[in-house]
Amino acid sequence: MRNKLTKNLNQLLLAIGTIILALLVGAVIISFSGNSPIEAYLSMFNGAFGSKQRFMEVLVKMIPLVIMALGTSVAFKANLWNIGADGQFIMGSIFAIFVTIYSGLPPIIGIPVSIIAAMIGGGLWAGLAGWIKVKFNANEVITTLMLNYIAVYFLSFLVYGPMMDPGGSKMPQTKLIPDAFRLPLFESGNRLHIGIFISLIIVVIMIFFWKSTLGFKIALLGQGEKVTTYSGVSVKKMIVFTMIISGLLSGIAGWTEIYGVQYRLLEGITSGYGSMAIVIALMGGLNPVGILISGFFFSALLVGGATMQRMTDIPFSIVDIVQGLIIIFIIARTAINFKEIKNRIVRRMEHVK
Amino acid sequence: MLSNIFTVSFFVSLFASTIRLATPILLPALGQIYTQRAGILNLSVEGMMTIGAVAGFTAAFYSGNLWLGILTGMVFGMLYSSLMAILSVTLRANQVIAGTALNILGAGLAVFFYRVIFGIQSLPPQVESFQMLKISVLSDIPIIGVILFQHNIIVYLAFLMVILTWFILEKTTFGLKIKAVGENPKAADSKGISVNKYRYFAILIGGLYAGAAGAFMSIGYLNIFTESIIGGRGFIAVAVVIFARFLPIRAMWGALLFGLASALQLRLQALGIGVPNQLMLMLPYALTIIALVLASKKAEFPSAYALPYSRKER
Repeated sequence: MRNKLTKNLNQLLLAIGTIILALLVGAVIISFSGNSPIEAYLSMFNGAFGSKQRFMEVLVKMIPLVIMALGTSVAFKANLWNIGADGQFIMGSIFAIFVTIYSGLPPIIGIPVSIIAAMIGGGLWAGLAGWIKVKFNANEVITTLMLNYIAVYFLSFLVYGPMMDPGGSKMPQTKLIPDAFRLPLFESGNRLHIGIFISLIIVVIMIFFWKSTLGFKIALLGQGEKVTTYSGVSVKKMIVFTMIISGLLSGIAGWTEIYGVQYRLLEGITSGYGSMAIVIALMGGLNPVGILISGFFFSALLVGGATMQRMTDIPFSIVDIVQGLIIIFIIARTAINFKEIKNRIVRRMEHVK
Repeated sequence: MLSNIFTVSFFVSLFASTIRLATPILLPALGQIYTQRAGILNLSVEGMMTIGAVAGFTAAFYSGNLWLGILTGMVFGMLYSSLMAILSVTLRANQVIAGTALNILGAGLAVFFYRVIFGIQSLPPQVESFQMLKISVLSDIPIIGVILFQHNIIVYLAFLMVILTWFILEKTTFGLKIKAVGENPKAADSKGISVNKYRYFAILIGGLYAGAAGAFMSIGYLNIFTESIIGGRGFIAVAVVIFARFLPIRAMWGALLFGLASALQLRLQALGIGVPNQLMLMLPYALTIIALVLASKKAEFPSAYALPYSRKER
């Protein structure tokens, strides 16, 4: 127990160190651009935590990001590089809105059905990439990414075409879902909705998921195909199945965003959540609690970065730069064998003597 | 109605723009043939191209010299690819994650410095692009002349690189060593070929080609820089390499196929055909998946594909 605690503490310290290092490099880049890094980070911090409303906004962003990162982590744990969370989010949203707008079901049935539809939409989109991988050996990184582009254009086609709000002002968006379908807000004045509980529930479910036989089999898949074959699991089926689980979570993320924040489909609903979900999943060490913590950090970065861009001359892209740097430091950290370097230095010192 | 659309002039302009649009896919694909042959799957082509696009655009804008722009794009593409080399070769990191990180970082850096250098303007800054270089006599041949011999010089150079790339890989010892470190790094190592050194070379050459292609997009094709200027072409190029089974000449056909898909979308859109624009825009991306489906089983991947090499693991 004690060991586990020190291990977790070590991990947390390492994570904080990684973030500080990335922010420092980011600071150098900001000063290159002739701006003050202190001003940048201060306005970022203020933008995320400066008022109650802003803090609530961080939590609003956290809802879909944590769920998407959990979805991404399922695939990553199995060494399946699903980078198509954006596409799965979009397809989930489309499926959900479709049944809500056209089925006319009463909310009591319609809401659960819309969640299931979102799961099917996201799951199918990721499962398709998984199926193509096992059937034709096509690299899932490229197929999931191409499916992102296809989903983006499909969404654009729908909101400009058949699903455009007939009563609207020719804006590229669908009509609003009825009030009864919307996730209730905690209070007026900010956008925080009860979806935050949904994301927390999913975190808890995922903790138990990784302890279940199914979770174990998925993690096993990441250990290499041979191990999985020996333990009597059909590798091909597991790959497709893992991708479906990964995608259906992103579908749910889309559902929370649509039913809790936007209330309709419109262009650009994901706005780069997918790549952030990858960073959150990796930063969180692919474990649910880690993802919850890193999800909070990156949501703050996202909200703070947007404020910083409005308040200063520093572009929002610094957020992308910091994200990229963090992943680089994480993989460099795991790759560099500190023990070996230490041994080498010790050896060299002895040599000198 | 169809006969009104599919006229001779339609096909001439379709095939001419096919060749133009194949260029920014062909160049990075040729570069990635070196990289992938050496056993490295570099997924950061998109990021390298975006960096090349912004660096090339900035240099061309301030110097007024397009060649300097292309050169700057190449240099920055190569510099950026050195990060991939350090991560994947020296640190032996997971290549997929490294590539993904560098794509996020590359997009961030490119847009950040573009915004810092050019600020926010109501009209995007432009450069005067390369002039069309009509090759005398040949460009006067009806139909064929217009399709093949009325492009800017970078397009011709890109297609010449097909032969050069083939020559280097198949006919020189340098090419042989690149292939050896991807096929059997242990054997190459025992023959005294430095695996790490040739993998570095292969990645840096890939960066050079990708940087050139990025600069082509911003100063040889669009004349402006935008955030989404590369639009997935880097990933398409990676898919083309696999589709082409790592062979330069097949990569040319692959790039032309994608050029055709993009050109078809542009031409049909210009004619106002009944198919919604967004569905046409999906075409190159759907084609990429189809190409991978058709080619991946048959492609003979280098034996050490995407595997880091360590002397200690025997």
